[in-house]
Amino acid sequence: MSWEEEVREIHRRRRLAKQQGGKEGIAKQHARGRLTIRERIDGVLDPGTFQEQGQATAIPDYDDNDKLLGFVPANYVVGFGRIEGRRVVVGGEDFTLKGGSPNAAGLRKSVYAEHLAVQYKIPLVRSLEGGGGSVKGGGGRRGGTVGEPVYSAHRFRIIADAMGEVPVVSMAAGAVAGFPAGRLVASHFSVMTRHTAQVMIGGPALVERALGVSLTKDELGGAHIHAKSGIIDNVAEDEHDMFRQVRRFLSYLPGNVHQRAPRIDCHDDPERMEEELLTAIPRDSNAPFDMREILAMITDRDSFFELAPEYGASQIAGLARLDGQPVGVLANDNRVYAGAMTAEAGQKYRRFVEMCDTFHIPIVNFVDQPGFMIGPEAERNGTIRYGMAAVAAAAQASIPWAAIQVHKGFGVATAAHYAPDNYVLAWPSVESGALPLEGGVAVAFHREIAAAADPDAKRRELENRLRSARSPYPRAESFAVHELIDPRETRPVLCRWIDWIQPRLDELKGPTRFPMRP
Amino acid sequence: MARLEIESEVTGNVWKVEVGAGARVDAGDVLMILESMKMEIPVQAPEAGTVSELRVAEEDAVEEDQIIAVLET
Repeated sequence: MSWEEEVREIHRRRRLAKQQGGKEGIAKQHARGRLTIRERIDGVLDPGTFQEQGQATAIPDYDDNDKLLGFVPANYVVGFGRIEGRRVVVGGEDFTLKGGSPNAAGLRKSVYAEHLAVQYKIPLVRSLEGGGGSVKGGGGRRGGTVGEPVYSAHRFRIIADAMGEVPVVSMAAGAVAGFPAGRLVASHFSVMTRHTAQVMIGGPALVERALGVSLTKDELGGAHIHAKSGIIDNVAEDEHDMFRQVRRFLSYLPGNVHQRAPRIDCHDDPERMEEELLTAIPRDSNAPFDMREILAMITDRDSFFELAPEYGASQIAGLARLDGQPVGVLANDNRVYAGAMTAEAGQKYRRFVEMCDTFHIPIVNFVDQPGFMIGPEAERNGTIRYGMAAVAAAAQASIPWAAIQVHKGFGVATAAHYAPDNYVLAWPSVESGALPLEGGVAVAFHREIAAAADPDAKRRELENRLRSARSPYPRAESFAVHELIDPRETRPVLCRWIDWIQPRLDELKGPTRFPMRP
Repeated sequence: MARLEIESEVTGNVWKVEVGAGARVDAGDVLMILESMKMEIPVQAPEAGTVSELRVAEEDAVEEDQIIAVLET
C-alpha cells in the first residue's frame, strides 16, 4: 500500500491554494492596476526562490463524510525567499479574497510573519493591502470565548521587537488602512506607489461617519499626503519601481543586528578628488548651493539612496557607500529654511540615527546647520522637543561617526550632528558659533548699536569684526577639529577613515540600547 | 499642454521675480528668488514651458505649499 492517494490530494490542495480569489478576483485586481500578492512576491524576490510556509492553509468545507467540498485559501501568503541571493521572509495579504481582511486562516499566517523573521534572523518584507479586521469577523456569540486570554503574549510585541532585530521593509500597493497601516509604519523603510496606493487609519466611510467630512481615499491618504506626512519614506512610480527600491534599501543593511552591513567591492577610486568641490560653497553665506551634488561627488558613484526627500526636507537623509562600505548620510539642505531643524526634520533625524545605530551602520554627516527653526509655527509644532530628541539620539549613538563641517554650525541644533565616536573634518567655508552673525550681533550688541550715531554702520562694523574672527584656522590650531581639509580631499580622507573603523565595526554587533521604534 | 502649478517650498518673502507672465522658459530656468531664513532660494522651472500666471510680486509674503506661479508645458 502506498500513500499515493494522499500525495495526490496534497498536490491538489496546493493547486487550490494558488487559485487565490479565483479568475474573477484576479481579473478585478489587475483591472485596478495592481498585481496579486503572488505576483508581488515573485516581483520582489530573485526568480524562483519563493518557498511558501503553510501552502495548504485554508478554510475547508467538509461534508458529513469528510469529503472536501470547498477550499478557501488563507488570504495571507508568507514564506522564505532571496533578494540578491540573501535570505528574506516575505508576506502579504491576498486582496482578491475578502478584500485582504484576514480570514481565520489568513490571520494565523499574518501574525506569523514577524515571528518567522525574528526566529530565523532574516529581514522581513511586507506587502500590505487591505483594511485589517472587520466587525463581521469579531466573536461574541453566547457561550463562546471572546478576546484573547489575559495571560496571552502581547499581540503587538513582536511587531516592535522585530525592529530591533532584523531589517523590516513595508510596501503599500493598494488601500492600506487600520492595522495594516500600523504595520506599514512599524518598518525601517516604507514605500507606496504614486497612483495605486492610499494609506489611512480609517477610510472615507469611517471619516464621514465620525467627522461629517466627505473625502476620497486619495484625498485622505494619497502619496502626495504621505510623502510629506513622513509615514512613508519613499514614493514609487509603480509596483516594479517599488520592488526595485525595496531590493536597493536592503542591499545596504545586514541580515540582522548580529551581522555586519555588507561591504562590496568598490569600482570607484577611493582617492577620486572632484575639482568642483573647491567652488561648491559660495563665499556669500546667504547664497544657496546644491548639497545633493556635493554628496554625489564624494560618495561612491551612484550609491546615494535618499529616504523621505519631501518630509522634513531641510534635513537630507539616505544610505550610500564609501569604498564599498554602507554608510548613513545626513546633510542639511540650505534651500529649505536654510537647512534649519524643524519639528519634522528632528523626527526624521532621530529615527534615521536610531536605524543606523540598530544596524551598526557608520554615519557621515555634512553639517550646514543654522539652528532650530524659529517662528510662531515652529513653536506651535513643538520643534525644540523633537530637536532635542535628535540631539539625544546622536549623543547616545554607538556607531563611528564622521562630521564634515561644510558651512554653518550654529546653536544647540548643531550638537545633533556630532556623536561620541567622532571624526571631525572642516572645510574652509565653515562658520560656527552660538548664533548666525546677522541675528546674533543685533541681539548681543543692541544697546551699543542703538546708542551709535549711525546704528546701521555700527552693526555692520561689529558684524565685520566678528566675521574676521570667524576664521577656520583657530579651531584647527586648538584641535577642536581633527583636520581642516581641502574640500576636494573629502572623499579620500573619508575612505581612509572607513578603513580605520573596520575593527570597530567588527566588534559592534548585537542589539543596541536604543533600537528604532515606529 | 499640461498645467503645472508651482508651489513655494518655504515660508518667506519674494525677493526678486526673474521672469514676466508669458515668458518662455527652459527646465531649470530661475522664475523667482525667495528669501527665507536669510537664504536666497531660487524657484526653478521643473519643465520647459510658458509662464501663464505669476501669482506673487516682489516683497509679497509666501507660505509653504502656496501656488506662486503656473506653467503651461
